[in-house]
Amino acid sequence: MVYRIGSAQGFYGDDVTKALPMIEGGHVDVVCFEALSELTLAILQKDKLADPSRGYTFDLRIIAHQILPKAFERKIPLISNGGGLNPQAGAEMIRETAAKLGLKGLKIAAISGDDVLARLPALQAVGETLAHIETGEKASEAANQNFVTANVYLGAAPIVEALRNGADMILTGRVADPCLYLAPLIRHYGWAWDDWDKLASGIVVGHLLECTGQVVGGNSLAALDLVDARDLPHLGYPIAHVEADGSFIVSKTPNTLGVINSNTVKEQLLYEIHDPANYITPDVVVDFTTLRLQDMEENQVRVTGVTGKPRPDKLKLNMGRLEGFSRELIFTVGYPEAWRKVEQMKAVIAETWQGLPINRVEFSYLGVNSLFGGMSAVPEDPLEIVLRVIFTANDKDTLKTAVRRMMGNGLSGPAGMSVSGTTVGAEPSTIVGLFPTLVSQECVTPQIEYFEV
Amino acid sequence: MKRLYDLAFGRSGDKGNIANISVIARSPEAYQEIKGKLTAERVKAYFGELVKGDVVRYELDNIEALNFVLHGALDGGGTRSTRIDPLGKSLAGALLYMPWE
Repeated sequence: MVYRIGSAQGFYGDDVTKALPMIEGGHVDVVCFEALSELTLAILQKDKLADPSRGYTFDLRIIAHQILPKAFERKIPLISNGGGLNPQAGAEMIRETAAKLGLKGLKIAAISGDDVLARLPALQAVGETLAHIETGEKASEAANQNFVTANVYLGAAPIVEALRNGADMILTGRVADPCLYLAPLIRHYGWAWDDWDKLASGIVVGHLLECTGQVVGGNSLAALDLVDARDLPHLGYPIAHVEADGSFIVSKTPNTLGVINSNTVKEQLLYEIHDPANYITPDVVVDFTTLRLQDMEENQVRVTGVTGKPRPDKLKLNMGRLEGFSRELIFTVGYPEAWRKVEQMKAVIAETWQGLPINRVEFSYLGVNSLFGGMSAVPEDPLEIVLRVIFTANDKDTLKTAVRRMMGNGLSGPAGMSVSGTTVGAEPSTIVGLFPTLVSQECVTPQIEYFEV
Repeated sequence: MKRLYDLAFGRSGDKGNIANISVIARSPEAYQEIKGKLTAERVKAYFGELVKGDVVRYELDNIEALNFVLHGALDGGGTRSTRIDPLGKSLAGALLYMPWE
């Protein structure tokens, strides 16, 4: 018998109700929800600072109200890393919801231990250098120490334990995306923690499923001619049928829209990876260069031959650092002399911002060179130009002053200029810079708490 | 004009300030041609000032695809970048736009 894993979330805000047809149709044995991008935790930190009982993703409310009752009825566990910075509070919210819905006997596991923000000095004291992966800069020597999040990428082990203890809903903080999907396979098949090829296969299952729509026709050039534009919001989300030896077929919820073939699988296989022979996860280092893909029946691709190597000694630790604020303004100018009007605008900015502590100012022309800068050809005498100005400062007030000073010249500026959309009234955005580093496995101890109805 | 897109498709994404672009061949012949000609140096030169660091190429003969890892390609990445596409989602398209013979 194969084991069937469904995936119903690929980011905070994804349409998690895509889990319903999987569960109600009897197509899955477990459903996983991957909610955390590199920057999501910084967003959740803002929520948590405003209210200590928050810090988890709000999609959990939809999961608790609409999906959990159906899954619990059929004994299908749900696994989510949407606990974010506060899995215990998320679990408590789910417990309260489940109690109101009468889900007697429901058991929720909250997995934490990934958040080491308060432990950074202690980690450094025991010799963890916390050097930036790309630049080598040590965190302790960084000029800006304003770290607002510090979360280690945990592996599958605590989820496996929670499943063994009968949890119906597992809520975690920062667990590495594909490990959410590996965990139920380890639990189901009893794979050994050093059976590298099987663990690696489970990671590939997770990697292919964790971006939901991206393997069934979304964000896809391979599927451009195969999916009707109106079908895109209705794509059926992916499901993997995994064998005991780790080989699997990746497909999607039956009788749903979308397409999955070896080309859409290749696109997702290489999505956000570096060395394909050494894809590093907390549980295993995966080699993508030995696997084989085979198109089976319609919307079914078989994956075999994945190999793995021993897990790394270090875990990835991603820290978010507050680095100031940014503000964006958009102006449109037209013929005649559009480029001279752009120069006038730039001069007004330079004059009115004199003396302000602005860190960066960047100009680009939307629809012309905003994506690829100097790679794009710029028209000589265009009918219209959309000027985007983005600028940064250490504090919000500087940005607000800058906008006010410039707008004060509205009637003294370029001829026939239009100011677009939210340009005038928008609030500055927070800049959170990432500081990726490594920490020793033994410094990190996952914890599990159970909440029962 | 013939472009790389005629021989391949692909997708791009981010990890911090590093972007990667997959280039997936449309046929075995196209793979041999791309593998022979689309070197890391050529990709680095093509992107110019957009990519500040090294470009590393990885080959996947098993699925007839290349993976390019572009260091320092995202102006700091995430919300630190002032680019309109700080996550590099559009970079694959820029590479596929490359004129081909």
